[in-house]
Amino acid sequence: MALRGTFGALALVVACILPTGVVSLWPIPTALETGTTPLTLAPYFNFEVAVPGAPADLIEAVAQAKYYLETDKLGRLVVGRGSNDTLALKGAKSLSSLKLALTEGAKVDSISAESVKPLGTRSEEYILTIPEDGSPATLTANSTLGLYRGLTTFGQLWYYYGGETYTLTSPIDITDAPAYPFRGFALDTSRNFFPITDLTRTLDAMSWVKINTFHWHITDSQSFPLMVAQYPELAINGAYSAEEMYSESDVQYIVAYAAARGIDVLLEIDTPGHTAIIGTTYPDYVACFDASPWATYANEPPAGQLRFALPEVMNFTASLLSSVAKTLPSYYFSTGGDELNTNCYTDDYPTQQQLNATGWTLNDALNIFTETTHGALIAEGKTPIVWEEMVLDWNLTLSNETIVMVWISSEDAAAVAEKGYRIVQAPSNYFYLDCGAGEWLGDDPTGNSWCDPFKTWSEAYTFDPLANLTEAQYELVLGGEQLLWAEQSGPQNLDPIVWPRAASSAEIFWSAQQPGGAPLNVTEALPRLQDIRYRMVQRGLNPIQLQPQWCALRPDACDLYA
Amino acid sequence: MGRSLTTLLTALLVACTPTAALWPLPQSLTTGTDALVLSKNFNIRLSMHNAPKDLQDAVSRTEYYLRHDNLGRLLVGRGSSDAGAIKAAKQLSALTVTLESGATTVRSVAQEAMDDIDSRDEKYALTVPSDGTPATLSANSTLGLFRGLTTFSQLFYEYDGVIYAPDTPVQIEDWPAYPYRGFMLDTARNYYSVADIKRTLDAMSWVKINTFHWHVVDSQSFPIEVPGFMELSQKGAYAPDFVYTTSDVQDIISYAGERGIDVVVEIDTPGHTAVIGESHPEHIVCFHASPWSNTNLTILLISYSCNLTEPPSGQLRFANETTVSFTTSLLSAVAKMFPSKLFSTGGDELHASCYDDDAETQAILSSTGQTLEQALSSFTQTTHGALEKMGKTPVVWEEMVLDHNVTLSNNTVVMVWISSKNVEAVAEKGFRIVHAASDYFYLDCGAGGWVGDNPLGNSWCEPFKTWQKSYTFNPTANLTDAQSQLILGGQHLLWSEQSSPHNLDPATWPRAASSAELFWSGPTGNGTAANGRSVDTALPRLHDIAFRMTNRGIAAIALQPMWCALRPGACDLTA
Repeated sequence: MALRGTFGALALVVACILPTGVVSLWPIPTALETGTTPLTLAPYFNFEVAVPGAPADLIEAVAQAKYYLETDKLGRLVVGRGSNDTLALKGAKSLSSLKLALTEGAKVDSISAESVKPLGTRSEEYILTIPEDGSPATLTANSTLGLYRGLTTFGQLWYYYGGETYTLTSPIDITDAPAYPFRGFALDTSRNFFPITDLTRTLDAMSWVKINTFHWHITDSQSFPLMVAQYPELAINGAYSAEEMYSESDVQYIVAYAAARGIDVLLEIDTPGHTAIIGTTYPDYVACFDASPWATYANEPPAGQLRFALPEVMNFTASLLSSVAKTLPSYYFSTGGDELNTNCYTDDYPTQQQLNATGWTLNDALNIFTETTHGALIAEGKTPIVWEEMVLDWNLTLSNETIVMVWISSEDAAAVAEKGYRIVQAPSNYFYLDCGAGEWLGDDPTGNSWCDPFKTWSEAYTFDPLANLTEAQYELVLGGEQLLWAEQSGPQNLDPIVWPRAASSAEIFWSAQQPGGAPLNVTEALPRLQDIRYRMVQRGLNPIQLQPQWCALRPDACDLYA
Repeated sequence: MGRSLTTLLTALLVACTPTAALWPLPQSLTTGTDALVLSKNFNIRLSMHNAPKDLQDAVSRTEYYLRHDNLGRLLVGRGSSDAGAIKAAKQLSALTVTLESGATTVRSVAQEAMDDIDSRDEKYALTVPSDGTPATLSANSTLGLFRGLTTFSQLFYEYDGVIYAPDTPVQIEDWPAYPYRGFMLDTARNYYSVADIKRTLDAMSWVKINTFHWHVVDSQSFPIEVPGFMELSQKGAYAPDFVYTTSDVQDIISYAGERGIDVVVEIDTPGHTAVIGESHPEHIVCFHASPWSNTNLTILLISYSCNLTEPPSGQLRFANETTVSFTTSLLSAVAKMFPSKLFSTGGDELHASCYDDDAETQAILSSTGQTLEQALSSFTQTTHGALEKMGKTPVVWEEMVLDHNVTLSNNTVVMVWISSKNVEAVAEKGFRIVHAASDYFYLDCGAGGWVGDNPLGNSWCEPFKTWQKSYTFNPTANLTDAQSQLILGGQHLLWSEQSSPHNLDPATWPRAASSAELFWSGPTGNGTAANGRSVDTALPRLHDIAFRMTNRGIAAIALQPMWCALRPGACDLTA
């Protein structure tokens, strides 16, 4: 009997809590106030774009937002999927419009132009107000990019049941701005190829959680799917097939598609390692090309790295990188620099001959190579981005502006910060989406994923971007990203392996804390993550189920100690 | 110099290895070196009277696959090196399909697929000459012919608009090493549409899997409509449209049968039944009790490594006669819907502590003088008795014979899931066995913890089971010759706490093909099988079937970078 009594009380508490405060925004805004008044979306609801000379991409973003409002049809994640809300919606006021405006004096530029500005100079903040009395809602920002972020938030406020699109929590007041300027997602399109439609679908999903950087690891040792006008043979010989190739116009299309969604495309051409495929076109430029056993010369097959000590290779690489970089609007370009294997050069005659002739060490040669390639990029107005080894394992002269991506371990961020470089957090022990899928090398039945175990959304969510840093070093952290390396991925599992997990870091680096200032918390976050996950499904994505649906409909019922 | 010689030798070896990328590999296979082009007029001729409709349909599907697979060979150039051979090749204009049996009535593929597991005949012989004379397929059963058609369609590739087999003549005699080759899907933790299930059945048939073990209900939802028990799905399904209606079920059974697949349904009892409490609270103990982990705490502590139980809690009050009759009628009603001779009553993860606090159970036990185990035995005898009367053979999870002292018919089939180490103990008790060991065959392992508020939690059956790991499973490890006869076969399983239509294909394929070959072609042991199979030689063939699946619309996961898929052996650990 006592037990039953407890259940009754618990049920009451749950019933009282659930209808209120259910604003399942992801990422959670900086400041958020909600009420308890139901409000429906009028059938004739429209957006009023009060922006003089509104750019075309803003008009398109508004049309897209309208489309989502009409087609999301997301039932609330409670038992009954909103059937219990019908009563509350009787007599509810209707919202007939949302007015978009820029703050006074703000310069009108396209979302696309705002999205590719240098980090730290973009304005993504916005203010969204939805009154409870049906009077027009308002969205204001300092830039069209801010308006775009606000539209994204507005689209997450609405649920659907029995023909009504509604919220239970008006009035709503949101003031929102990102905690970090870099919020990314990295995709490797070299180990396996992803068609354009997979990339655009992914960019859409990224925009829904306010990710603003697509880090495109476009080439690697296995394939070179990028068509470069000046070096067409690289793709002709290096793509898996003529169909598995990104033409120049494909790349421009992706860049434009991304920018219109608030996303900057950061291209990476990894050098001087991860370049075996270049040897299919320029065998003289690649050391230990396809050498066997591969494990002596590379972290994975095939072996092959640029002969970076050779002047012709330095010039070729600088020319390749800058010819690609100058076609892209981003201020940033990644030259990679991870996993350089030194055995490869020890056994390489041309490299040894060059070192002997010049008296350089391998490190000297790498330094000249990097200065040459980075110099060419800087001359094009680009800021180089490198993997952590370039500053931790090698003694190179890099521009102070260089941005360093920490990937091997989250422990390494402090060492990079000590050297004074700006940091993008991409640690494998939190953010690698490919971990835990077992060994992919052949003839190794007992092998395991090198970065086992699988990184759950909740493990990623507990990442502390500022761990082990001094307060003075905090400003070096630009943000972070989750990454999908594609040894075991392809279009076939892109959605489920990425979503909704990649939304974890999107919230860490946008919100950093809960609206009241409390730290982010997995228990608080899960129901909201479920919400955005189910909304993604409504929008045509294939995000993985995080739990049985039974749990998704009963917030916290499947917590460890529930 | 030494190295280049080795390389040359390796290249020669690769060139001499039969390239036929069949999966599962036939028992007897010889191939030649001539290409053979599929004629534009190619057709498959059924040389029998009254060919059953499902065999005719299988022929049409095979012709469709031959024309539409468009699979380029997995070599650098995707078949460009075959261009010369294709030019010199003869054209194949027909495959003649003959039933050897003298039987006067020709039975359908579906009927033969649902025969008793001991009496199915899946054997076939396939000959594809290289001179352009008709290929021939013969078998003693339409089921055997169906298997042969499946093999035939895997022989062909496409290059530059030409469909061709690269290494004819081909001679195949083939039969399964084990009669049970399954795939299990849990449709209760998350729901799958009929279309998802059908797509999966297609893929299963391509690798000659013959059993769909349908774990249709569980504590979280009851998505199957059962005549006489409509309230179970009405109150227990996630949503009104997340229900398999009786006609959906018939549709799935026929679709499976036509593809040589028997549907073995499981209504898991007496545990895993919380959802029944939504409509019949009188039959469920500790319904949604909180904390859910407390109700299972003893088990949790004792066997954490092999069994982390999950919310919601709730189990059948099996000591109660009313609950026994209810369950018996329910199981019988479900069994009536499924023509299969096998029916699973589950029986895993029963938590005794749940009954300690149940006053009603305790009162019954004291008044009858029974122990909980005795009550369980009489529950099981009643439910199984009813099924056996209907001609069904009960299937149970291993706990029913290893952890509980219940009287079961000798005929009962036992599925070993907790660990492959438990096979021996089940065999010692003399029961027939289906391998379903979590340490080899669970497709959901390695996806991290899913219980909330537990960021450091991991998958209970970590790590991820790769296809290679499954492939090295030895079905008769530690068994005597006599005990080895008890092994019916095995299966991969997808539990759906973290799966749904959104990742069904990549979570399942091509990994589930690993056990399909293991139980059709026989185990490899340590790579010393008579036919020379090993994880090393299997990988190129597995890539092949995975790429073919993709071309047929299955989102099979990439096992490796495509660079590796095009270069057999180049990405082996020690290559």
